[in-house]
Amino acid sequence: MKAFKPVKLALPVCGGVVLMAAQFGLSGAAIAAGCPAATVADMKGVPAGMYPQQYNRDEFEKLANCKLSLKTNPDIEKLNKRIRGNGDLPPLAERIPEDALIVAPYDSIGKYGGTFDMLSNATEAGTSDFLAIRHVNLVRYSDDLQTIVPNVAKGWEWNGDYTQLTFFLRKGHKWSDGHPFGAEDVKYWYDNLSMNPNIYEKPKDFVLVAGERMTVDVIDAQTVRFNLPAPKPGLLVHFANSYAQGFQPKHFLGKWDPKMNPDADKMAQAAGFENGLDVLNNYYGNSDWTDTPSPMLRSPDRVGKLPADTHPTLESHILVAESTEGRHLVANPYFFQVDTAGNQLPYVSEQDEIYVNEDEVRLLKLVNAEADFKEQSLQLSTAPLLLENQEKGDYTVHLRPEITMSTFSFNVTSENLEKRKVFGDLRFRQAMSVAINRAEINESAFFGMGEAKQYVGFSPPPAFVEEKWKQHYAQHDPKLASKLLEEAGLKDTDGDGFLEMPNGEKLVINMQFAVQGVPAALVELVGQHWAAVGIQTTVKEVTPDEFRSAQSANKLDVSMWRKGQPLAVILGTNEMWVPPYQDYFNLRTAMLWAEWVDTNGASGVEPPDYAKQLMDDINAFQSTPVGTPESDRLGARLVENMVGNLLFIGTVQVPAPIYHRNAVQNFVEYKTHSYEYYRSYPYRPTQWWLDE
Amino acid sequence: MFQFARFAATRAGLAIITLIMVSFIVFSLMELVPGDCAERYLAFKNTQGSGISVADIEAERNRLGLDKPYIVRWGKWIVNAFQGEYGDSCILRLNISQLLGEKFWISLAICLTSLLLAYLIAIPVGIISATSKNPLLNNSLRFVSYLGLAMPNFLLALMIMLFSTIVFGDSLTGLFSKEFRDAAWSYERVVDFLSRAWLPVFILGWSATAFAIQTVRALMSDEVGKLYVLAASARGVSGRRLLWRYPARHSLGPIINSLGFDLNRIFNELPIVALILTLTEAGSLLIEALARSNDQQLAGAIIFLLTASIVGINFITDIILALTDPRVRRSILG
Repeated sequence: MKAFKPVKLALPVCGGVVLMAAQFGLSGAAIAAGCPAATVADMKGVPAGMYPQQYNRDEFEKLANCKLSLKTNPDIEKLNKRIRGNGDLPPLAERIPEDALIVAPYDSIGKYGGTFDMLSNATEAGTSDFLAIRHVNLVRYSDDLQTIVPNVAKGWEWNGDYTQLTFFLRKGHKWSDGHPFGAEDVKYWYDNLSMNPNIYEKPKDFVLVAGERMTVDVIDAQTVRFNLPAPKPGLLVHFANSYAQGFQPKHFLGKWDPKMNPDADKMAQAAGFENGLDVLNNYYGNSDWTDTPSPMLRSPDRVGKLPADTHPTLESHILVAESTEGRHLVANPYFFQVDTAGNQLPYVSEQDEIYVNEDEVRLLKLVNAEADFKEQSLQLSTAPLLLENQEKGDYTVHLRPEITMSTFSFNVTSENLEKRKVFGDLRFRQAMSVAINRAEINESAFFGMGEAKQYVGFSPPPAFVEEKWKQHYAQHDPKLASKLLEEAGLKDTDGDGFLEMPNGEKLVINMQFAVQGVPAALVELVGQHWAAVGIQTTVKEVTPDEFRSAQSANKLDVSMWRKGQPLAVILGTNEMWVPPYQDYFNLRTAMLWAEWVDTNGASGVEPPDYAKQLMDDINAFQSTPVGTPESDRLGARLVENMVGNLLFIGTVQVPAPIYHRNAVQNFVEYKTHSYEYYRSYPYRPTQWWLDE
Repeated sequence: MFQFARFAATRAGLAIITLIMVSFIVFSLMELVPGDCAERYLAFKNTQGSGISVADIEAERNRLGLDKPYIVRWGKWIVNAFQGEYGDSCILRLNISQLLGEKFWISLAICLTSLLLAYLIAIPVGIISATSKNPLLNNSLRFVSYLGLAMPNFLLALMIMLFSTIVFGDSLTGLFSKEFRDAAWSYERVVDFLSRAWLPVFILGWSATAFAIQTVRALMSDEVGKLYVLAASARGVSGRRLLWRYPARHSLGPIINSLGFDLNRIFNELPIVALILTLTEAGSLLIEALARSNDQQLAGAIIFLLTASIVGINFITDIILALTDPRVRRSILG
């Protein structure tokens, strides 16, 4: 896979409207009527704007020297009637912002209509696949997964030391109920929801900077500023790749908060709810996750007494029906995006989601083309069947690399002191890494479609990751393994063909795993490979709950789970670089180093120097703008310490299928099969249309 | 009459004690599984991309009252359960009574219909096959019934779905078609429901029928050869009259007795079939709660309701038996 360039955060510092205003001050050329239907495939001579594949309206009209004539979905009145609580629709010009976001479709100007069919697993389970299709946030990662571009915000501005982030919103932008959207809605989300102890017991990490809260200033109706207690360039990244949207409808949710409206509880009780916060929770789910159950599912007996079935949204579609079988959505009549020909997006009129939680049934439905798109929950093992039926089902499957890979980690702070000594010996870990026959794993477990790799911390590896680390001790070399084990003092003293620890104690490595974390076939092969160099192993499958609790209780010899994060995520969270190197639900090791760090050295085991260096470097790395030589230097040292010490041993990175029906137009091949950039969001599903 | 009331009351009391004991076992089993509701919920939230610390889990545990002693929690649970209140689902955070709502009745209806179907077919067919001397009839009945017994239900469901997908382009999944999924109950919705519900009833009914035929056949074969039947026929009773009045009536007792057991068996098979057919009823929710989301609250509520149904059916069959079987009746009424 091609190496990814670092995210250029330095550029957008002066980006956004400030520069644009200067650029358009010189306007004056004659305006031709009707705009060229520019697409990414054929820009019809329209020059590129500040950001790839999209413009702000004034920028586009200036560059294309035209005036957009606006058009809307012919069924929009009918769709609007299905949104309970919405009044009659004003004309289109009053529904979209003055400076709407102009989207250049990939291949064609779309046709309105159709229902987009999706499969999810269950209520709130396996739904991000579908959520990402209607998702919006302040900004977005472009499909190169490097450039951050405007979305709800039309621009942004950092101050010099990354402690003030200002967003510029679009004038005339409206919520799906027609109420104006603005800076107040951003402040409301931060102050009254994210920081509200009645909503969140404890604020989420991503709304804090170095553990402290920010403040939010409303500069004017369309300008809002985050003031950070410490530099955090990653905050902008958060608003690009997180599910959590940096705004909520103050006019709608605020009236149920007793602190903002003294009548809140009375209104709520009149509708049969306990109090105002109960109603707020019914709508907002006390979570930024965007499909927590709506009142339609939560309180079907009382939802009729509430003013609307769901709270207003800025997304492309809005929920109109929900049950435990699935959901139904219709196009948001106030959606802020318009194509280059002046058509309001989305093209797709309705979306329908049904819940299927059985792998075989999901596969049957996909082969039968009963869904329009599927990425999440599709594993490489389903690829042969899906690929075989592509023509018959009139769909296409792309195999794209995942971000995580199955990774092993020896317990360097094992309770057994002799094991701690052995696992803590770098030569032992090197031996275990070269003992793994990654080529064989790739062939027999992954149809030869994967790529043998070492774990380097960043996935995909940015340019500052030196080549030598990507395959560091990842070759298959049993002789070298035996030599390293001998150097580490392991000998077969009892002649049973397996090595004993230096003190003569038997060494049997218990490999406990859960299939949710790593494939069984891979674990079994690695167990055999280690046995082949004289390390006795036993393999046992356990439930994810058992695995997690044993791992965090420091009871495992070796942990195994999928692991890997892209640069964009690492900028916002340091967990992969600080003992125990990830949260409770993922791959961890060195629990006693973590205890030492948490107790400031009062208990636990003191980590070695390289682990302390990793902690210092990740914090410095996060406060340094990406792409600068200083950031690259820190990044390179992070990789050197992480990979050089082989705390984590990588195996084979595999691709997974991404499915779409051929009727879905303007579909572009994805770069990765992953959650980390919020799934489909970078590939602009709002400009998909159905050719049926 | 007083004795009969006393009998009914004792049976009802026993049923309630059984229910309480089962609930205790169910609750204890869930307690033995590693990881509690707080951990499960946050594990679930973690899959949605939120970072979670051990402190979060502790806070959630306190909030849910999971730090309280086990017996206290069970006591509270069982008192609420008898009032039809099961609290919130661990993962979905929805009120379980509302979540289950009509779903449990749909499941029960599917099971009871399968059971009814099974005995409507099994009783006459079992009697015929026990008394018939026609080898062709006997063997073909045996073949069909062994097939029903031997073939796993989920396989049958998958085969029917695959067949339907290839031939009709419809995978026959779900309890409702798309347009009726979110609609209110109406005549059309009932028709739509029936047009889909026949499939699980058919699949569950087949193996239940096969099982019931074997039971009826064995009981009948046992009875027909007995001396009282011979005596009756010697007195000139013959044909259908002989079968229905003597051996069939004797066989009926054990069959009524096994109804509760049969319902349990059908309900046990329902979740797998429901999962394959993506029916969103209580059975598939149970599998979902037990195997996927580890939602103890929801699973506990469904198992409790199921146990209550079976205990209830057993109670009813006891009463019916007491009314229909003179031997039982006499032993109660003295």
